[in-house]
Amino acid sequence: MFNSLAGRALVPVGIAVTGFVVVCFLLLYSVIKNVVNRDTVGHATNLADTILRSTRYAMLKSDRETLTTIIQNIGQQHGVEHIRVFNKEGIVQISTKTEELGRQVDKKAEGCIGCHAGAIPSSTLGSMERARTFTNGEGREVLAVMAPIYNGPECFNAPCHFHPPSQKVLGTLDIGLSRQMLLKSLAAIRNQMIVFTVMILVLTVGGVTALLRRSVFLPLLKLRRVAEQVEAGEHPEAHPSHFPRELDRIAQSLYNLSQKNHNAGEDPAAIEKGTVPKDL
Amino acid sequence: MQLENDSRGSAPVWRTSGHAMTQTIDHRPVPGLAPQQSQPELLEKQLRTDIKRLNRLSNRGLWAFSLFILVSLTAWRDFPMLPLPDTVVAVLGPPPPPYVISIVLLFYTFSAIILSLSRMTAGLEHKSSFCHVGYLTCFFLFYHFAKALDDNFWPVFGAGVTILAVESYRIWSFCRDALSRRHEQLEFLQRTGRMPPEED
Repeated sequence: MFNSLAGRALVPVGIAVTGFVVVCFLLLYSVIKNVVNRDTVGHATNLADTILRSTRYAMLKSDRETLTTIIQNIGQQHGVEHIRVFNKEGIVQISTKTEELGRQVDKKAEGCIGCHAGAIPSSTLGSMERARTFTNGEGREVLAVMAPIYNGPECFNAPCHFHPPSQKVLGTLDIGLSRQMLLKSLAAIRNQMIVFTVMILVLTVGGVTALLRRSVFLPLLKLRRVAEQVEAGEHPEAHPSHFPRELDRIAQSLYNLSQKNHNAGEDPAAIEKGTVPKDL
Repeated sequence: MQLENDSRGSAPVWRTSGHAMTQTIDHRPVPGLAPQQSQPELLEKQLRTDIKRLNRLSNRGLWAFSLFILVSLTAWRDFPMLPLPDTVVAVLGPPPPPYVISIVLLFYTFSAIILSLSRMTAGLEHKSSFCHVGYLTCFFLFYHFAKALDDNFWPVFGAGVTILAVESYRIWSFCRDALSRRHEQLEFLQRTGRMPPEED
């Protein structure tokens, strides 16, 4: 394979084109995946903020029944896996899953460590740092976002219950969204890109192969046959034609050579003199 | 007399300088050369040394490929021997964002392939495989410190496989051509006692 002209011409081109297209595909897919993930995290953060704003009044009034009803209703929406509200100590106060109520989460767990890594917990984090992905107990991929419930003047001045103004964060809302739709979309994008990549590869490598075969390899094969004929002392019956310009000159020379040999064979005097007829 | 070679690995050029022949075509001393040896013997010895060197060089691409696979395995395991990205970032400052690293990787892959194909076309002898392993390791490290290696491992791996495959093929085909020429020269030398005439 590597000794033939076809192998020498096509192997490096095939490797280079295939490899480069595959690298482009992988990089493009990685970029698309990041963009889609970032958008999904943004969407989840907005949803968490919406829930916090919707429940703000109930929290101020310490209306636990209304708060629980709102959160349970949102939790029933398609694609929402869980909603939890933790207090400052990390104890689940409200949850769409009743069995979680009263449980305390580990502050070193994923999702909590972002703020609780140091001795003094951080009160602000970027939206991407607040997000985490995991597989839940039902085996579903989940994207969860933590949204801190900040203290405010209307909160620490409220007559019903009191938080000191120095306490920046009162608790945390944790919302988990199913990643099924996201993964399905990414899989669809990936499959389409694989199909396009394969089509580009087939067109490029196939096109180069077909053109080289038609323009170079087949004429060379024909030329080789003519050369073998001349070498064997046979005289080609007709002038070989339909060669590309560069190969046509070689074919012409071979034909002339065979013609000279043929005529010299018919004229023994020419052989003795070592000359050939001039009309060739 | 000195044996020299142009960079394309064509037939060696012999020049008379009044000294005994003590160098191979890459200007390295030939081990075990004695001044009392006859000229054809010296030529033959030098050709044999050159054949050995080309045989060794033809495997260079595969060695580079093996080293890259080793680096990739380490990268796949998130460089367990290195300090955590946060520690390094605290000392050296933040790395470039992953999309910038990806753009640089794309341009690097394109340039490396073009350069390798150009060298193949020109028939240049260039032993550049191992430096590509170095560049690719840098890409792995940059992604690692930017905490984006999980998403970008396969693009770097694909780029490495492509570049090193083209480079290995280039070095191997160069050595194969040069070796066949050296064998022809050796055979001619043994038959006639002199080097064959220089080709164009």
